[in-house]
Amino acid sequence: MYDTASRLEGQVSATDIKIAARDVQVFYGDNHAIKDVSVDIQDKTVTAFIGPSGCGKSTFLRCLNRMNDTIDIARIEGEILIDGEDIYDKRVDPVQLRAKVGMVFQKPNPFPKSIFDNVAYGPKIHGLSKTRADLDDIVERALRRAALWDEVKDRLTAPGTGLSGGQQQRLCIARAVATEPEVLLMDEPCSALDPIATGQVEELIDELRQDYSVVIVTHSMQQAARVSQKTAFFHLGSLVEYDTTDKIFTNPQDSRTESYITGRIG
Amino acid sequence: MTDLSAGAASGQTPRSLTQTDARTKKRNAAEKRFRAYGMAAIAAGMFFLVVLLGSIVTNGVTAFQQTFLQVPVYLDPEKLDKTGNRDPEEMKKVSTFGYKPLVEDAVFAAVQAAGIETAFEDAGDMDALFSASAAAQLRDRVLANPDLVGETVTFKILASSRVDGYLKDRVTRDSVARDKNIDAAHLDLVDGMRDASLVTKSFNWDFITGSDASESRPEQAGMGVAMLGSFYMMLVVLGLALPIGVAASIYLEEFAPKNRFTDLIEVNISNLAAVPSIVFGILGLAVFIQFVELPQSAPIVGGLVLTLMTLPTIIIATRASLQSVPPSIRDAALGVGASKMQSVFHHVLPLAMPGILTGTIIGLAQALGETAPLLLIGMVGYIATNYPDNIASGFFDPNSAMPAQIYEWAKRADPAYYERAWGGIIILLVFLFAMNAIAIILRRRFERRW
Ligand SMILES: Nc1ncnc2c1ncn2[C@@H]1O[C@H](COP(=O)(O)OP(=O)(O)OP(=O)(O)O)[C@@H](O)[C@H]1O
Ligand SMILES: [Mg+2]
Repeated sequence: MYDTASRLEGQVSATDIKIAARDVQVFYGDNHAIKDVSVDIQDKTVTAFIGPSGCGKSTFLRCLNRMNDTIDIARIEGEILIDGEDIYDKRVDPVQLRAKVGMVFQKPNPFPKSIFDNVAYGPKIHGLSKTRADLDDIVERALRRAALWDEVKDRLTAPGTGLSGGQQQRLCIARAVATEPEVLLMDEPCSALDPIATGQVEELIDELRQDYSVVIVTHSMQQAARVSQKTAFFHLGSLVEYDTTDKIFTNPQDSRTESYITGRIG
Repeated sequence: MTDLSAGAASGQTPRSLTQTDARTKKRNAAEKRFRAYGMAAIAAGMFFLVVLLGSIVTNGVTAFQQTFLQVPVYLDPEKLDKTGNRDPEEMKKVSTFGYKPLVEDAVFAAVQAAGIETAFEDAGDMDALFSASAAAQLRDRVLANPDLVGETVTFKILASSRVDGYLKDRVTRDSVARDKNIDAAHLDLVDGMRDASLVTKSFNWDFITGSDASESRPEQAGMGVAMLGSFYMMLVVLGLALPIGVAASIYLEEFAPKNRFTDLIEVNISNLAAVPSIVFGILGLAVFIQFVELPQSAPIVGGLVLTLMTLPTIIIATRASLQSVPPSIRDAALGVGASKMQSVFHHVLPLAMPGILTGTIIGLAQALGETAPLLLIGMVGYIATNYPDNIASGFFDPNSAMPAQIYEWAKRADPAYYERAWGGIIILLVFLFAMNAIAIILRRRFERRW
């Protein structure tokens, strides 16, 4: 099970740092949801965030593309650098940031538009295509990467909301990769999927690793072990342990990590 | 197995499903009672609705029929065009007084030709039968077509309101005993003329398209000009309240930070929605007429006042429909790198559209039926006798509005106006029903599932 991970170990250490977080604090009003989190996320790597419910995984993930800006009471301190640039710098436009850091949400949320329009929306607003043929290409490529093309190629004009839950989630993944992000954030992307669709999405994540840095939040230890090279364990808003997936699952340093992965807390 | 037998042994009988126990019976009875209350409430509501619509229709439908005298009129060149060169400018010198004898003669001649027995010997006695506007009617026809002079043309002459009322059973022999406009002998004559088909009832387009008339000529009064007044007011309301209301709601709902100040604004908008409409009227009087010095009785002022009144309705409806758009749609748009504005205009607004349109149309319908604020800006009591000449005068010239016109008619003493008030209500209701139907259709067309 851990074979892939160990085989890649050499590569992991060779890649450089994509995202660097330093002493990040997040407050929801008075609720201190993220405490002093510092973490380096590497390029062309899948990083898994695990931890019990309510420990702040989603909150931290949403800091990485500034989706927390939309929550009025959220307040963020500390520093997050992507490619060496502080994303909370005043000069940074969150819109540009989100084009570079794509996101897939826990609950599939396709637009109530056609399948084609769902995928084409991002490229359209970012001006990624000059011609209609370009756009068709981009849409097809994105849908193929999300392992959805064969199922929907004959009904691209059908509403995206009419797909099954698993298909909708893959549509959302296609939508996210269509804008050619450099980092892809996925918040429990498989929680609504059956084992077959989950397998397809995991395969996809593994492929995406060739080009992107992928951060995935998951409640499934097996999934974290299968797809990720690095794993971060969060507990009560703190980052308890961050290491190679292999090491976290075979030889955790912290007793809390050990209890969690063996199922004693959570 | 052992557990079961132990239970039976300790005296517990298994509960039967076919026999309802006391609690269940009570619960079912309560449910039945509640259903009965509900049905009774709906039945009562339906009953009142039927009574209301029934009385409106029975009282008002007669206003759509009008009595006419159908007689051949000899257009005497001696009287209408002495010079004989058919120059309209010269013919204009003959006033309606010059035409009235022609009508009287024509009616009298027609009565005699039909061999109807009558006590009247003088054509001058005929003027109680036709409307005071008949001469003007005839004059307009002749001036529009001077070649008619010298010929005998059959005209439909508007009957007087008493004759009209007699044919509609509003005027009886008892009531004319105290009436100085007409007497029983005239009614006998009308009976005869009706048998000879000289007096007929037909559909009254002028009631829908015409203008208001003076107190003494109810047979001539129509809704058309007041309808235009309402139309121009609705243009103002739609043109101002929809964009302002939607922009304000989008800003408040999607962009504004949630703090004390926006809370205050929110509370005030809800309060504004509850402010009695007459208060908006006096505000309009003070601000638009006395301060800005816009003309009195003008649809532009009425429209502005009604805009103020409609804004809260539109804002509340728009905000409610924006709130009902799932937040996950906004996240999705922001997540692919759309700006706040793109997410609102590309995704949120289209989903909120049915609600916004319904709210707007309901607000407009409210505004259309509103009378109280118009009282204070002089649109009630104004007699709208002229069509506006152009669009600008449509906005700025004094006019009335449909509900104001109805109120005005209902106030007048002549029972013929009472009938017209009911008829006006039918027209107003037709407009309101049409607007609600449009709201439903738009809702259906824009409705999408997610
Ligand atoms: N929008 C919000 N407003 C206020 N508090 C929030 C908000 N979102 C999250 N929180 C709080 O922040 C803490 C962390 O929440 P978060 O959603 O990040 O947990 P999580 O690790 O993703 O949990 P799960 O695995 O259940 O998704 C929780 O205590 C939660 O109550
Ligand atoms: Mg979460």
